[in-house]
Amino acid sequence: MKKSALELRDVTKVFQKGNDMFRAVDMVNLSVAEGEMVTFLGPSGCGKTTTLRMVAGFELPTDGRITIRGADMTNTPVNKRQIGFVFQNYALFPHMSVYNNVAYGLKARGEKESVIRPKVFSALELVGLKQVENRYPGQLSGGEQQRVALARVIVMEPQLLLMDEPLSNLDAKLRLHMRSEIRKLQKKLGITCLYVTHDQGEALTMADRIVVMNKGRVEQIGTPFEIYSNPQSLFVADFIGHANVLHLPVTSIGDEKISVEIPGGGSFSARALRPQVYHASDTIYRTGSTAALIVRPENIGVIERDSDENHFAAVVVSAIFVGSHIEYEMTLKNGEAVKASVPYQNGMTIFREGQEVSLIFDAPNSVFLPS
Amino acid sequence: MNTLRKAVSLVLLVAFCASSAFAAGAQEQVETGGTLNVYSIMPEKYATTIFEEFTNDTGIEVNFVRLSSGEALARIIAEKGNPQVDVLWGGPADTYEAGILEDVFAQYVPSESQEIPARFRSPDGYWTGIGVIPLTFMSNTAFLEEKGLEPPTSWNDLLDPAYRNSLQMADARTSGTATERIYSLVQALGEDQAFEYQKKLHQNIQLYTKGGAGGAMPVATGQAGAGIFYIVDALDIQQQGYDLQISYPKEGVTYGVEAAGIIKGAKNLSAAKRMMDWASTERLGQVMVENRINYIPTRPDVTVTNPALDMSKVTLLEADASWKGENRSRFVERWIDEVVQQ
Amino acid sequence: MDRRSGSTVALIHISATIGIVYSCQAAHNPIAYKEGAMIERNTLKPTRKSLMKSDPALFSAMVAVWISFAIFIFLPLLRLVMTTFVIDGTFTFENMKEALGKSYHIKALYGSLILATAVSISGTILGYIFALAVTRTTLPRVFKVLLGGVTILPLISPPFTSSISLTLALGPNGMLLKAFGIENFMIYGFLGTWISETLTYFPVAFMVISAILNTMSANLDDAALSLGASRWRMFRTVTIPLSIPGIGNSVLLLFGASLADFATPLILGGHSFPVLPTEAYLMITGMFDLRGGASLSFLLLIPALFVFLLQRLLIGKKSYISVTGKSGARTEFAKLPRELSMVIAVVCSIVVAFILYLYAIILWGSFVEVWSVNNSFTLRHYEYVFKHGRKAISDTLIIAFLSTVIGSVLAVIIGYIVQRKKFIGKRVFEFSSLLNYALPGTVVGIAYIIAFNERPILLTGTLSILVAAYVFRYYATGIRSVIASLEQIDPALEEASLSLGASSTRTFTHITIPLIIPAVLAGMRYLFIHCMTAISATIFLVSVRWTLLTTRILESMTELQFSQASAFSIVLILIVFIADAIMFYLLKLSTAKFHKPQEITNEKIGA
Repeated sequence: MKKSALELRDVTKVFQKGNDMFRAVDMVNLSVAEGEMVTFLGPSGCGKTTTLRMVAGFELPTDGRITIRGADMTNTPVNKRQIGFVFQNYALFPHMSVYNNVAYGLKARGEKESVIRPKVFSALELVGLKQVENRYPGQLSGGEQQRVALARVIVMEPQLLLMDEPLSNLDAKLRLHMRSEIRKLQKKLGITCLYVTHDQGEALTMADRIVVMNKGRVEQIGTPFEIYSNPQSLFVADFIGHANVLHLPVTSIGDEKISVEIPGGGSFSARALRPQVYHASDTIYRTGSTAALIVRPENIGVIERDSDENHFAAVVVSAIFVGSHIEYEMTLKNGEAVKASVPYQNGMTIFREGQEVSLIFDAPNSVFLPS
Repeated sequence: MNTLRKAVSLVLLVAFCASSAFAAGAQEQVETGGTLNVYSIMPEKYATTIFEEFTNDTGIEVNFVRLSSGEALARIIAEKGNPQVDVLWGGPADTYEAGILEDVFAQYVPSESQEIPARFRSPDGYWTGIGVIPLTFMSNTAFLEEKGLEPPTSWNDLLDPAYRNSLQMADARTSGTATERIYSLVQALGEDQAFEYQKKLHQNIQLYTKGGAGGAMPVATGQAGAGIFYIVDALDIQQQGYDLQISYPKEGVTYGVEAAGIIKGAKNLSAAKRMMDWASTERLGQVMVENRINYIPTRPDVTVTNPALDMSKVTLLEADASWKGENRSRFVERWIDEVVQQ
Repeated sequence: MDRRSGSTVALIHISATIGIVYSCQAAHNPIAYKEGAMIERNTLKPTRKSLMKSDPALFSAMVAVWISFAIFIFLPLLRLVMTTFVIDGTFTFENMKEALGKSYHIKALYGSLILATAVSISGTILGYIFALAVTRTTLPRVFKVLLGGVTILPLISPPFTSSISLTLALGPNGMLLKAFGIENFMIYGFLGTWISETLTYFPVAFMVISAILNTMSANLDDAALSLGASRWRMFRTVTIPLSIPGIGNSVLLLFGASLADFATPLILGGHSFPVLPTEAYLMITGMFDLRGGASLSFLLLIPALFVFLLQRLLIGKKSYISVTGKSGARTEFAKLPRELSMVIAVVCSIVVAFILYLYAIILWGSFVEVWSVNNSFTLRHYEYVFKHGRKAISDTLIIAFLSTVIGSVLAVIIGYIVQRKKFIGKRVFEFSSLLNYALPGTVVGIAYIIAFNERPILLTGTLSILVAAYVFRYYATGIRSVIASLEQIDPALEEASLSLGASSTRTFTHITIPLIIPAVLAGMRYLFIHCMTAISATIFLVSVRWTLLTTRILESMTELQFSQASAFSIVLILIVFIADAIMFYLLKLSTAKFHKPQEITNEKIGA
């Protein structure tokens, strides 16, 4: 078996403030393969940054083990871990030129100037920076600062590249651009990377695998596709892609599928997920009680009101034309709100506010979770 | 590596603490015969000149700091266990008498001591007089003219309302000049009358200065009209060119004996003795006369050239140093309670 | 010979301090104590680690600093308390009763409080007016620069400088009084002391308040005006309320400064207006009554501590953050109403002219043969200063230099520990470090002579005692600026360095130190100025071997040598001015290299 680049076993971090104990990170387990890009995704305060900081060695875990390339690093000081850390605000040394920023680690390692110089320049070239080596961080744009921060880390050829929301200080357009830049660079160098973000778009587009965290715990680990299409918890479903979550009464339970009653009449069946490990008591479906139907806005079709009993009757609350799509907000008969995003084609009818419509839920792309 | 670091830190830590102790130790060893450490109550400009001559004559270097008499005595008493200086130079003899009670002076009879009249030296050899300074009135000529006054010739002249808010003289808490003033008044008028007089005088006081000479400059520049000073301070300011009148009260004044003495436990004892010997010779008097330092030399055989120091027409009251020493703090307390706080 | 031994001691002190720095560098481990004491439940180390084991270098640095506190802060204070309350081994209020029993002393306590209150109010008002003139008026730039320059004068002169020339200007028969034909003006007493202290301390208020006025957001002014408020109304409802923290801070600072000042009342107080520090000084120097002096200074300690605590409460932590200098595009502050501007301009002009006049008297006095009698030009007094005052000048410079270096190093260590580390007793630690600063100088000086006059720590007459007195009293400004500066430095910078493989020592020397250098230099400026000019604590500590310029000036004054005193003062002011200019230049140099740390801009990538 291939030795994994990083192993987290039961990693836990407890902070204490006065008499209050706060479990910032609770029993996190993870194995990262060499060259893999793993993003930690979750709302602020979910423990993703603390986990990253424990991997870096800025925090020591209260419990658990951290192994990097087979070596136990749980209590190793930061500067002995050979990791590269990119900070949210870049943490460029303001009193040093770009050259000295990038050369800092090599100098600390005691490399000769003749070795340092070519390495620094090739690192700068790698991140697409030219002729900035004599400038100071304060004289650079945000994007340039970001690149210097990357070059500073890459030049050290670290075992692990750790990035803490590196793009959150950039504007939207630049963020999109840098996403692909970073991903390309990571693939090119074949470097193992842990990437913390609260932006699901970033996570979905960049990661080989995503770790979704909530309240210190791991909710789900999987490829972007798995996370998106098979959310293992309501939290994941809600957090990724703003899915519609409808609580509907269960009418029948099959092996794979269950059926629910459509408000106002009719029935709808789709795959039911049985998340294994996380919240055992929540995983039971029972007829009579409700189940949560997860359906993404782009998986809903909006048509004129018809009488198909697999369709959901709804009333349009608002319709917004956003160019490529029409964004509908509607209410079902039971009062629950539903959002749909319908691709716009020429000549298509746009339903108006107050109009009665029928919704077609794309069953293969809809799942049930225990509610 | 870590242990080494800890060890280094600890060693330095100990060094930090020990440095204080070194400071104490080091300073004891370095006192050698070539130098002399002195507290001077005599004003710095005089002391500088006199010590320069002493160094010329003997080759002994003098380090000194100028302190008021009270501060000098307070320090010498405080430093009793580990004297910082060898000689106390200048200052009224009663300060020395007070110090004798605290056992801070060493006995030493200088070589030519017998040439100095007995009233100008300690009977037990604790101190030796180096100059005599009577009290005097000093007034600003312009002030007198403006107010139509003659230079005061009686203590009572100073009670004239014309002097209201115009007198500056020293504060008894800090100045030997001020206590001398009280001794004079007690000798001239009797104790209770002396304090009654001062209460009245207080009405005319503009400021009690901290130093004995503190009021001289204000009188010279016309900020104050008149004051009571030791002759040495009065003449000094007059010599600078200010238009001033010096006069004496007919009831009489006491005089201060400026003294010097060796501190008990002096670390440079032989040098200290040489200084006392030197001070008992004619040489000191000559230095004073030559440099217009207006103490009346204690050696009668020194010729004084300045007519202002001719005391033949002045009523001088005798008050011996031990009487002054015994009564000093009582008079000062009384002065604070009855005069200042009235 | 003996002087060399003094220097040796100082050298040992320096090397010891460097030792602490060294261990502090090693202690630099921002991880272990960053986010609250953590629960050590690590499987490898089942028990909670002691500080000594987890961070030995921090531990030894802390021990070293605590020991220095014990020697130079707690011991003197303890001895002072003992001298006050213990007679022949038993606890007693006898001394206190005696001190309080004299109506003159009660009057002095009362006088101290009245004076401090009056000075804090008048100084703050004057400071506020100056601050408004500089930040909120359209007065010409030259005028504003002049205001800034002239207000530096009182800051860099010994505290009693103005009282001397004030006596000549406003004293009986004073020049100004004659010029204006005023009679019966009595400078000695409350009035003179009050005027002199106000002139001496209002620049502090000016600095504190203009800092606050400058950091206010100009947008608020615009908002008020756009909502239809008149300029008067805006000033009343926006500017003044928002500057209340600065006003409060300034009032307390001035109260403390006035409470501690002994030199001004010594010269101007006269007998009718006694104040405690002066009485304590007279008690010791005049009556050689150490016990009485100690008791009086203990009385002084109570209001001083009270004000200090109040100030700590008021400022709290917030004030630091307000001084970030992080603001976007700065709009201009709205100007004050024209009438108010005129009044401010007039007041400022009068005060500036008066200060210049007072200093001109001193300058003039130093060049004339005999003051007011023979006004021919001479350099005689400067000759005297350089001939007989050389030792005082060199001593003062040595002492100030050593104090500045040692004080800054300690300030960095203490500031760093306080800001970056979490440990039990941190507040006590911080409070202890500032204790000598909170106490009036007279109290500290008296406590020092009592404590260091006998074995085992016999320091009287040494360089060490003077340096220690200055260091532990005036490094407070340094500590504060280091803390404020560290607060603005993202710990991520230090973490970045560590994550790049740099050792904690390298991180401290290559990242932390360069980034706080401006703050350290700013602290050093104040430390140096204080060491050159302060007198209240050290007047008790000068000795045959080590003497100070300030005491020489005071001495010259008591010896009627006004011209000499003036020459000494001018030399002192020039030295401070030059040294300050050098440090200011260094400060500029150290910050010019880089712009504001971590300025995040949202620009697009360049072509």
